[in-house]
Amino acid sequence: MLEHVLVLSAYLFSIGIYGLVTSRNMVRALMCLELLLNAVNINFITFSDFFDNRQLKGNIFSIFVIAIAAAEAAIGLAIVSSIYRNRKSTRINQSNLLNK
Amino acid sequence: MDLPGSIHDFLLVSLGLVLILGGLGVVLLTNPIYSAFSLGLVLVCISLFYILSNSHFVAAAQLLIYVGAINVLILFAVMFMNGSEYSNDWNLWTVGDGITSLICTSIFISLITIISDTSWYAIIWTTRTNQILEQDLTSNADFFLPFEFISIILLVALIGAIAVARQ
Repeated sequence: MLEHVLVLSAYLFSIGIYGLVTSRNMVRALMCLELLLNAVNINFITFSDFFDNRQLKGNIFSIFVIAIAAAEAAIGLAIVSSIYRNRKSTRINQSNLLNK
Repeated sequence: MDLPGSIHDFLLVSLGLVLILGGLGVVLLTNPIYSAFSLGLVLVCISLFYILSNSHFVAAAQLLIYVGAINVLILFAVMFMNGSEYSNDWNLWTVGDGITSLICTSIFISLITIISDTSWYAIIWTTRTNQILEQDLTSNADFFLPFEFISIILLVALIGAIAVARQ
């Protein structure tokens, strides 16, 4: 029971890593980053459900992870939109603006 | 939740299947709008999974913040920047894609090995005596400082995002 849920979150984690590394679109990379953070949250909630049923520390920490993921998604999409406004393209291998 | 065991298992298996297919859909679908909607399906299924795991507050927060705010932001971003990406044919399976799939499969297999080799029930037995009254975010003294920092981080991050994304 516990192992099945952990295997599910490990699967989401590895799918997220694969999508993050191989995506050519910047918004798809941000979507796979959200998948990674959600896999970690599933782990926290499952451990909090099985081991810490009274104090719920894992639940509280996953609230923090959700809030940090929201802030990071907002900033990432603002950066992507300003890159798109300047370059008219969102391919990742053209983001070498610091390379001059 | 206190469901009968068979209904609980059936719901878990069905949610797991939808999560597996949705995760594949986020990564492998070529149209980015389909991929964004598949991410929304994954986030809703994770929220239902949290309800099954007795974490009702986190389930509500996940629905509100992830599906209601982050997924909507991602959909807006996908709809704004969708012009020239359609013409990419996806048959460009490069060498890097193959190497990454090998590495991700090995990461997954090593994680499965670690999970199945750990004796979880010994840990459950030793933490059974450490349970006190049920608390929440504001009454547990360990979490005051991260709570204040989270509010400041959200404020600063959203002001920064608006400042960057303005014309």
